[in-house]
Amino acid sequence: MQTLLLSKELLELIRDNTLLWGVFETIYLTLISTAVAYLLGLPLGILLCVTDREGLRPLPVFHRILGFCVNILRSIPFLILMVAFLPVAKFLVGKSYGPAAMIVMLVIAATPYIARMVESSVKEVESGVVEAARAMGASDMQIVLKVYLPEAKPSLIVGAVISTVTVLGYSAMASTINGGGLGQIAIFYGYNNFKDDVIWVCVLLTVIIVQIIQELGMLVARKTDKRVRTGRKRKCKSK
Amino acid sequence: MIELRHLTKEYPSRAGTLTALSDVSLTIEDGAVYGVIGLSGAGKSTLVRCINLLERPTSGQVFIDGEDLTAAKKKRLLKVRQSIGMIFQSFNLLEQRTVEQNVRFPLELVHAPKQEAAARAAELLSLVGIADKAKAYPAQLSGGQKQRVAIARALALRPKYLLCDEATSALDPNTTDAILELLKQINRDLGVTIIVITHEMKVVERVCTDVAVLSESKIAEAGKVEKVFSDPQSEIARELIIPELIRTVKFSGGSKLRLIFDGSTSDMPIISALALELHEAVNILYADTKNIDGKAFGHMVITLPEDPARADAVVRYLAARHISYKEEI
Repeated sequence: MQTLLLSKELLELIRDNTLLWGVFETIYLTLISTAVAYLLGLPLGILLCVTDREGLRPLPVFHRILGFCVNILRSIPFLILMVAFLPVAKFLVGKSYGPAAMIVMLVIAATPYIARMVESSVKEVESGVVEAARAMGASDMQIVLKVYLPEAKPSLIVGAVISTVTVLGYSAMASTINGGGLGQIAIFYGYNNFKDDVIWVCVLLTVIIVQIIQELGMLVARKTDKRVRTGRKRKCKSK
Repeated sequence: MIELRHLTKEYPSRAGTLTALSDVSLTIEDGAVYGVIGLSGAGKSTLVRCINLLERPTSGQVFIDGEDLTAAKKKRLLKVRQSIGMIFQSFNLLEQRTVEQNVRFPLELVHAPKQEAAARAAELLSLVGIADKAKAYPAQLSGGQKQRVAIARALALRPKYLLCDEATSALDPNTTDAILELLKQINRDLGVTIIVITHEMKVVERVCTDVAVLSESKIAEAGKVEKVFSDPQSEIARELIIPELIRTVKFSGGSKLRLIFDGSTSDMPIISALALELHEAVNILYADTKNIDGKAFGHMVITLPEDPARADAVVRYLAARHISYKEEI
């Protein structure tokens, strides 16, 4: 059955679950890459903050070198970065193509981005609160674990959401190295076969995924933040 | 006892060196409520931060109970800081923790057992009078309540000293009085030595036993509050005690007299009595007096009659009633 709107190829992609698999692969690539990048980016961001001139342990030279490296990685366009770091992927996962290699690329691209996000979130923590903790005899490690991270939590969550969406955007370029996901379906089945509707459906699905991540993430961030909102609710209850 | 010896703090900057403290020496005896007063930029905040070495002095030493803190190892310094509580103008509470969790924070730092910490927090919250807010978050509290939480938190580790950096400057007058009363109570009941940094003479007047007047990075004057208050030696101390208007505007009439109420006289209507008994109507130029527990605190500036004999009668009348006074300008 052929409808006016959808091409045979698109219906076929839906019927044999290729699209569904693409959605799953996109989410999976994005979440795994962001999670790994966060594990690397979080300590890096804290390090940037702690070694800053105004930080807990100022190390100006180290700070400048680290900041420079982060900036370099961040300024390379993802497509070029992917090609340049192919040998690294080959070394780490044995292949320079496919989803595993794609994850390596996404992690390399996202880590410096996340590091900067974490740095700016942690810097938002009131310096007075840090000073109070120091006055109580907190060690630098205690300040990081008990002041920086818990106090910056809502902002860190917002940063993580933005990072996830960015990684999702990068993942669309996966077709270049056969990395899978909706981006690859759009290029292989849509662009290369002149099926515009396949491209548009892939775009639509990506938009929906981004919306869900964004809304869900912001909801969590709002729920965790104790600085505003909660006040009104509680007052109402007690009345 | 806290002893500051020849503290100097300089901040290097492109525009040249900025001196925040210049050869400051102070001794703060145990049990005192020691006020450090000065105009903004005088170096008060730097001074208080040098006591627990949040700021390291460029030169000079800090002795806490005879121990040279400036020479202490980092680990020892952190330990000593636990015996010195500190509260701030901006309260500096952890916004993502409840009131109770804020008070438990210093106890967590020293790995105090959970039950003990909970008991201590409850005890402190009732001491500062906000036990009912234990589960609230700082954002839900008023300024005065926040400062109470900060005080409870600063006392969690049973410190010997409490540093107050402009602790009441962000509060309204009524709340300020309540917080000052609480500080007094802590000093009296727990024996905590308190160092109060402020730009308001009123604060010193209300709670302090001793005072140091800081001006342009130096100590202009220091001593017992009654002494400095009734007989200020330095220009800056006089400025802080009497408002500028009274000092600079030329009033008609005879010389000016400042009456000092330091709590040793009862709150009697002295000016009315003077008018009735001597038939002398004096002009009140300025008055800032308070009745605390039936005693008069504060000061008042009056003009004396131009006729020397009549002026003399007024002065004798005051002296006979044990009112301290001082001739101004």
